[in-house]
Amino acid sequence: MLEMFEYDFMQRAFLAGIIIAVLASISGTFVVLKRYSLIGETLAHSALLGVAIGLVAEYNPLWSAVVFAVISAWLIEYLRSRFALYSDAVLAILLSGSLAIAIIIVSLGGAFNNSLFSYLFGSILSVSSNDIVVIGVFGAISLATLLFFSKEFYFIAYDEEVAKTSGIKVNFLNFLLVSVVAIIIALSIRVVGSLLIGALMIIPTIAALQFRVGFLKTVLISLMFSLLSVLLGMTLSFYFSLPSGATIVLCIIVIFIISLVANRR
Amino acid sequence: MKFVVPIFDIKNLSFVVKGQTILSNISLEIFCSEYIAIIGPNGGGKTTLIRMLLGLEKPTGGEVRIYGKKLSNFKEWHKIGYVPQRAAQIDSSFPATVLDIVKMGITSQRGIFGTFSKLDMQLVNDAMLKMDILELKDKMVGTLSGGQRQRVMIARALASKPEILILDEPNTGVDVASQKNFYALLRELNKKEGITIVFITHDIGVIADDIARLFTINQKATVCNNPKQALSCEEMSELYGIDAHLLHVHKHEH
Repeated sequence: MLEMFEYDFMQRAFLAGIIIAVLASISGTFVVLKRYSLIGETLAHSALLGVAIGLVAEYNPLWSAVVFAVISAWLIEYLRSRFALYSDAVLAILLSGSLAIAIIIVSLGGAFNNSLFSYLFGSILSVSSNDIVVIGVFGAISLATLLFFSKEFYFIAYDEEVAKTSGIKVNFLNFLLVSVVAIIIALSIRVVGSLLIGALMIIPTIAALQFRVGFLKTVLISLMFSLLSVLLGMTLSFYFSLPSGATIVLCIIVIFIISLVANRR
Repeated sequence: MKFVVPIFDIKNLSFVVKGQTILSNISLEIFCSEYIAIIGPNGGGKTTLIRMLLGLEKPTGGEVRIYGKKLSNFKEWHKIGYVPQRAAQIDSSFPATVLDIVKMGITSQRGIFGTFSKLDMQLVNDAMLKMDILELKDKMVGTLSGGQRQRVMIARALASKPEILILDEPNTGVDVASQKNFYALLRELNKKEGITIVFITHDIGVIADDIARLFTINQKATVCNNPKQALSCEEMSELYGIDAHLLHVHKHEH
């Protein structure tokens, strides 16, 4: 069982997976409670646009992914707060728009190669030491921000207007939350892929909500499910030669179904 | 004169949306320790007025001052507790215990490291005790009755020790017995603790004995200084646009 840890690439993969499981589940809790579940998918596709531009311009795709994901997050929040557009419609427009532009850019630039596919589907087994450092540093900053403002984010998710009337800087914190989520997604797509990161953010929280417990317990259950699915998914992918990102997501879905059945009324 | 410190000073307030006038040239003052009821027909602008007092809507004309300051300069929001319309209608899937919800009331006052101090938690406990919901603190809010949920929302508003409590028809979805307790509670908060209460309601007959002044809002505002006698059936009919009858509730003290 432990033989997989004899390989350096597996040690790095597990470390990256654990960091992303923690970040995705905690940020995902606030996203789900704000009824913003599709934002993960949308920002992942915006990050993919950044990757495409980075690849064509021969610039580090990770940073261009961060920039594009954050700009997209601000645009989503601006449109939502300013024009009271249907939130899900804004997300759908940006999701398909980003993907379409990314495909055209890569196609025109002739860079539709394995690099882009590794960002689409993730490539956890090829995570480098440098990737771990970047994910670790920015992940720690993102996690600290989420934890520091967790009470405010929770209040805003419950009742944005009452939070505003109690003196909480709702607009600033909404922008801060989507920015942190965008950074987490841009960091994660290298590992789990832009098509799958949304699932890692949302499904553990939805599974935890089936237990109908308070906020802190919901966060902890979601975190436990996220870690369990990443560790189980990577182990299964190693021994059965399965794609890691897809195996992780299938593990989360199994956990969700078990939670749903175990808690049905 | 009993009331000398103005909390809200509303001058020539107007609100127009897409050419439709919601509020027109409203001028009112609300003083410390007053108990004020606001009545009027649905769509008459009551909630819009409250939302402008709280800075949730920007007026198209006129201004609101709180404690003498412009809304944009006012920072002491913990002095104001707000219970919005349909507050008791909670999404039952939201992961929140009673304690989680009441703690929200002191979130904006928490310490620099994001933690609640012993004093903060004492405020939360006091608010739950006052609302008689301390034994429910670990219960999920979604499992409570309408009356219990209403008490939780008021406990949240009271946790920051507000000087003014603004309630926008908080009785929606609450049974009659709970409503009666609720009115008694508001009376106690006003009389014993001196909390200023601004209360949007349709049940004016029930609280007519308690309130100091009555504002009727239907695009324009009228102030009644003697609520028990000021509203004749004719005036109510004019305000609501239908035949209206004011039922006075006679209280029997035993």
